[in-house]
Amino acid sequence: MESKYQYLTFLGLRFNLANCLSILITAGLVFFFVFVLSRKLTLKPGKRQNVLEYLIDFTNGIVKSIMPGDEGKPFYFYIFVLFTFILFSNMLGLFFQVRVGGFTFTKSPTADPMVTMPLAMVTLLMSHYFSVQKFGFKGYLSNYVHPVGFLLPINLIEEFTNFLTLSLRLYGNIYAGEVLIGLLIMVAQSMGLVSAIIAAPMTMIWQGFSVFIGAIQAYVFSILSCVYFSRKLEREE
Amino acid sequence: MANGLVIAASASLGDSLFLIVTFILLLLLVKHFAWGPVIKMMDDRAKKISDDLDGAATSRQQAEKMAAQRQSELKNSKSEALQIVNTAKENGEKRRQEILTAAQNDAAAVKVKARNDAEQARTEALNSARQDVAQISVDIAEKMIGKELNAADQKDLIDSYIKGLTTADETR
Repeated sequence: MESKYQYLTFLGLRFNLANCLSILITAGLVFFFVFVLSRKLTLKPGKRQNVLEYLIDFTNGIVKSIMPGDEGKPFYFYIFVLFTFILFSNMLGLFFQVRVGGFTFTKSPTADPMVTMPLAMVTLLMSHYFSVQKFGFKGYLSNYVHPVGFLLPINLIEEFTNFLTLSLRLYGNIYAGEVLIGLLIMVAQSMGLVSAIIAAPMTMIWQGFSVFIGAIQAYVFSILSCVYFSRKLEREE
Repeated sequence: MANGLVIAASASLGDSLFLIVTFILLLLLVKHFAWGPVIKMMDDRAKKISDDLDGAATSRQQAEKMAAQRQSELKNSKSEALQIVNTAKENGEKRRQEILTAAQNDAAAVKVKARNDAEQARTEALNSARQDVAQISVDIAEKMIGKELNAADQKDLIDSYIKGLTTADETR
């Protein structure tokens, strides 16, 4: 199972065309979805508004389950967009894989560590930013030696492990799902019609399971982001 | 290890940059087109519901107050009506008493006057009768005796006689 990508080089940076396209498509889909649902807003919500408000309540609930008070308010919007974006990108590779001439053009953008890492980076940078905003820069730094000084190296290492686990967990789950779908497709193509008939239900089952995994991973990513936010916003005494 | 190097080499940093830019753009667009209006609507709804609840509580309080006021007014008007009737009754009674008293007084006055009149008439009649009797007696005595008595003596005589009569009359 190998997938080849086309690369563009621009200003010395390498761009994976498949990732960029998928990110664009995902972002477009998220925006389109949210945009369509938020038309004709009324005090008495209609069907589409209800769907959107349910989704918003759900993501707000994620934040509230970690930060029940007012301190969670600045994160409601970020978690909403993060959750929908990751959910959509996880789903994209399951339904929409385009391969032309051996080159993959669309897939789940989250099946690449170079995509999940900046997502985790954004979350962690935000947590540091809000921590500095709340405690001041000195207070923020002193949080690394709380509750006792010798925990400083552990606290520092934790920042990196947080970053790596957050990004690689998402990447690993989605990438594994895509690899398995690719393998099943190879099986289907290996021996003509017979293998295709055998592989079709297996693919369907695995796709269904991947939908489940994709939703769970989006939820886990959101809830862990909230956990990191809340940890940076409280002082361990 | 070699495999890891391959991954690192094939990693394209441009993707990360592209993702961050796209994600921030997505955040801005969603905030402007969907999140802002929807959250505003949800807040408006929450505010409206709480306002409606407050309004309902206020209007209920007002209604209760008005009902109490009406009740007390009703009670007042009842007692007022009772008072009016009582006053009317009292007035009527007083008036009746007055009329009765006046009538009694009138009747008494008429009675007294009538008695006085009768007394006066009797006295007058008695006096005139006394004079007449005296005159007649004198006349008869003159005629019978034919002798001219001193008028004053005669009169004294007759008066004493008559006085004796009247005392006899009164004693009888």
